Amino acid sequence: MQIFMQLIVSGLSVGMIYGVIAFGYQLTFGTSRTLNFGQGEALMLGSLVGLTTVNFLIGQSLGTLTAYLLMLPIVLVFGAAQGAVVEWLGVRQALRAKSDAGWIMATIALGIIFKNLAENVWGRDALKFPSPLPEASLSFGGVRIQPMEIAIVIGAIVLMTAVEVFNRFSIYGKAVVATSNDRDAAGLMGINTSRVITLSYALSSMSAAFAGVLVAPVTLTGASMGAVLGLKAFAVAIIGGLSSGLGVVVGGLILGITETLTGYYLSTGYKDVPGLVLLLVVLSVKPAGLFGKAAIKKV
Amino acid sequence: MRLFRLLSLAALALATPALAADPIKIGLSGPFTGGSSSMGVSMRDGVKLAVSEINAAGGVLGRPIELVERDDEAKNELGVQIAQELINKESVVATVGYINTGVALASQRFYQEAEIPVMNNVATGSIVTKQFAGGDNKANYIFRNAANDAIQSRMIAEEAIKRQGFKKPAILADATNYGQLGKTDLTNALQKLGVTPVATEKFNTGDTDMTAQLLRAKEAGADVILTYAIGPELAQIANGMAKLGWKVPMVGSWTLSMASFIDTAGANGDGAMMPQTFIQVPTTPKRKAFIEAYQKAYKIDRIPSPVSAAQGYDSIYLLAAAISQAKDTDGRKIREALESLNTKIEGVVTTYDHPYSATDHEAISDNIPVFGLVKGGRVVPAHPEDLEGDKAMRVKPKA
Repeated sequence: MQIFMQLIVSGLSVGMIYGVIAFGYQLTFGTSRTLNFGQGEALMLGSLVGLTTVNFLIGQSLGTLTAYLLMLPIVLVFGAAQGAVVEWLGVRQALRAKSDAGWIMATIALGIIFKNLAENVWGRDALKFPSPLPEASLSFGGVRIQPMEIAIVIGAIVLMTAVEVFNRFSIYGKAVVATSNDRDAAGLMGINTSRVITLSYALSSMSAAFAGVLVAPVTLTGASMGAVLGLKAFAVAIIGGLSSGLGVVVGGLILGITETLTGYYLSTGYKDVPGLVLLLVVLSVKPAGLFGKAAIKKV
Repeated sequence: MRLFRLLSLAALALATPALAADPIKIGLSGPFTGGSSSMGVSMRDGVKLAVSEINAAGGVLGRPIELVERDDEAKNELGVQIAQELINKESVVATVGYINTGVALASQRFYQEAEIPVMNNVATGSIVTKQFAGGDNKANYIFRNAANDAIQSRMIAEEAIKRQGFKKPAILADATNYGQLGKTDLTNALQKLGVTPVATEKFNTGDTDMTAQLLRAKEAGADVILTYAIGPELAQIANGMAKLGWKVPMVGSWTLSMASFIDTAGANGDGAMMPQTFIQVPTTPKRKAFIEAYQKAYKIDRIPSPVSAAQGYDSIYLLAAAISQAKDTDGRKIREALESLNTKIEGVVTTYDHPYSATDHEAISDNIPVFGLVKGGRVVPAHPEDLEGDKAMRVKPKA
């Protein structure tokens, strides 16, 4: 039982990270029916910018925790700006031209450019991110958890709640929701939908950048960290459903926990298989995802 | 016009003999950026140190050595491009380098075809020097002065089971060629000692959570973890053990000496053991001179990868000795000279006395490497008595 709980706990923290990144996919898909395929790179850039900021602040003789907390707003702003740039360079033209695939190519290309940029600025080695919390793990009835793993789960929930609250209660958020429901109708009601789409991209990359600085102290950071996480999160978004914020979180947890459980009870060599099987099953049984609303295509 | 052309041709023909004083070009291929760059850069710096010493002493055959450096980024396809460029465009007489077994295997066939020797100074895959041995090949142009995986896995098994007395080893290897071939070598080596690993676990490069692998090893009752992987994931293993509050020793391939393991695992990595052909300790006058020259030339205290630096340095001296003996830069003659080197070369790793023969292209034998131990961010000898007195210089036994 203790082992089972230990596996669940590790799966939860990994799954929460997948969930936050997938949450970003869901944000832009809602408003514009497009995805940022460079989401993993947004995460990577966020964590590297965070690393530089934290190291600079520690250099100013601040404590690691203070430096980390001061760094968060900077990374959030950077992430939002980076998302806006992606939308402006990659997505807007494709939407205007009503191109079906233009944004796919453009966001992938931008992702590659960001990765090369990061390789030139930060090099290609994996780098250690100073941990703001003690690294010694806590024991809860024999189940051991690193403080940072708890911070990941809490941080992820806080961020997603904040974005949801923003969407439900602020006037800008309502514009986002309206655009998600029906872009044309929202446009006719006087909502500047193209600005709303820019906003949703900013929010999306912001959550990715935040996920980056959350996960970096537990793993390592580096120019190539985005590729694997971005892809896993994509699978999560499909499993949970691209139109549901709750769905991607549940999808993330399902994938994270299946991975660790399979690794232990079946074989570590087959760790990634059940997640992919689940993906195929969901696609064939409920193509909109576990929590997704089936899209009715009117012709 | 025609007269002019004839004249220029004549001028060219006259100019040709002057080429004799031109530099001898040697290729250098390795990853200077990316995950294995600490090894690549140390190897390159060792090579450059040897070249500058040789050139300062008058060069080889009265000609200076000129290095043509290329960054293969540990990518097979880039290694292939570089091999073709070095052979066809730069006309190198030999190439040294290769950190990654995959890059070596993909690239060296072009040298084999062009009959130009390759000196592998870091790549450890057992198959590297055997790719073109025997069969239809008239001669093998691939040499090595690094401890191959067969040697390393035998050493790891002997150290863990015989010397340290562990009974229940668990193998943790990554899913790359390096990890999986190493895992097979390790399992075989353990079998020879009558031991079956209690768990054999696998992970992908880039994996961030090792809980499942480590719990399986722990539940199987493992008393030692044997590793075949590279720096970042090895650090995840060490950190994962600390997280689970479970500490058993780590013994593994020489990659446990990578800076990316030592620096990212921090205190959790202390005590990890791995075979090393060279440890940054001045146990012989030659080693002392090498360490001091390296520190002075590159203005650092800790060599990022001492093994790579020492082997890189030695590879140039081996090659230079062969070119001197051949009195020629023709690839075939250099190969023949390497296979019958008749001068003793005092290197950093060992003293090379007839290191190669027509059938044996491995300069490093089982008895040469010793075990290193991670301690306080550095690699130190695990058993200092292995390097005392006469034992400091370990030489390949005569065939």
